[in-house]
Amino acid sequence: MGIQEQYRNEAAELLSSGAVKLVIGYGEGSTSDRRRPVFIRSADETARLVLDANCIANLSGYLVPEGLLSDGKSVAVFLKPDGIRSVNILAAEAQVNPDQVVILGFDIDGGQASPLPGRKATDFAPLIESQKSTGLSTELQQEADQLELMSATDRFEYWNQQFSKCIKCYACRQVCPMCYCRRCIVDVNQPQWVNTSSHTLGNFEWNIVRAFHLAGRCVACGGCDRACPVNIPLRLINHRMSKEALDAFDHFAGESADQKPVLATFRQDDPETFIL
Amino acid sequence: MSEPFEPKIVAFVCTYCTYAGADLAGTSRMKYASNVRIVRLPCTGRISPMFILKALQKGADGVLVSGCHPGDCHFAQGNYHARRRWTVFRALLSFTGIPEERIKFSWISAAEGAKFAELINGVTEEIRSLGPFEQYQELQKIIETQSTY
Repeated sequence: MGIQEQYRNEAAELLSSGAVKLVIGYGEGSTSDRRRPVFIRSADETARLVLDANCIANLSGYLVPEGLLSDGKSVAVFLKPDGIRSVNILAAEAQVNPDQVVILGFDIDGGQASPLPGRKATDFAPLIESQKSTGLSTELQQEADQLELMSATDRFEYWNQQFSKCIKCYACRQVCPMCYCRRCIVDVNQPQWVNTSSHTLGNFEWNIVRAFHLAGRCVACGGCDRACPVNIPLRLINHRMSKEALDAFDHFAGESADQKPVLATFRQDDPETFIL
Repeated sequence: MSEPFEPKIVAFVCTYCTYAGADLAGTSRMKYASNVRIVRLPCTGRISPMFILKALQKGADGVLVSGCHPGDCHFAQGNYHARRRWTVFRALLSFTGIPEERIKFSWISAAEGAKFAELINGVTEEIRSLGPFEQYQELQKIIETQSTY
């Protein structure tokens, strides 16, 4: 029995036993290698579920909409390790009750989806712990290092060019499970903090603000990077923020549901080498 | 003959320490560079990174953020939270190419009038030598000159 069959059966069992009211998973997309989220409410619909190496989107964001979990019933969701970390963050930020989330965990390795045992976010703690000790992506680090080697002027020019492409579609915000604010800072117009037109200054500000709000929260699922229609390398800026949180505060986003958000806590001996 | 470049510096300070320190510098008749525009806030914890971006947007050449020394916060922990925020924000600005030298952070207590005057002079000199932050101000000019936006 392949993993897809196994997970379809599990989803069917969860639904028919009444353990969950909804399964959020992947279904066929518009092309053969695309997957789109599907929302399954009864056991006989579970044949629509697909699970393979193309299931890369982080579905945890679908847990957040208002009212979904307010009835106290549980929801099952297909998640890769990054998604499990997102659930931990959402729980730490009081956006979801982790007890109401049943995780159908899997990982993609060598072009194949493989099952991850566990049901609750806490079951995956050893896995996340090992991810933390492995550290952040070395590939991204190499890309970021290239930028860090440039002079500030060149780096500004680089991002200037990247951000000048931005059309302010906010796809990055829409796709991000961490962007759940009901009123985003860019939608605030009294005062208007961020220029909303898609001129380069406004784009610059928007992308800086978004990266800052994701500092210590981004799990590098790559959703924004894939969603961006003009291919701004958002992964790099997010990676740089994750690195800062890890290096300065030993904060690996989404370690557990009890982890305090990095900017909502402090230690008295936090580094402060730059303060005059 | 062209005028020498006078940098515009915005200082976001907390009212309990740095602002009082600036006051002390004033009442002690210390002279310091007049390039700094002080914005007084209740606490460094109130200083949102948006303020720094806004200052740059409006043409600042440098920004100074200053508050109570760790442990001295009127609200007990505001400056500790602010410190974390600055650590992250500073890394972000640097990564996007906004020079670290233009964004300064400091702790100045109410008793450190002399330190305040010294710091303002030092920062002003440093930013004067860096010159205007043209790269950023250029972006604002584009908006002002192009009616299509």
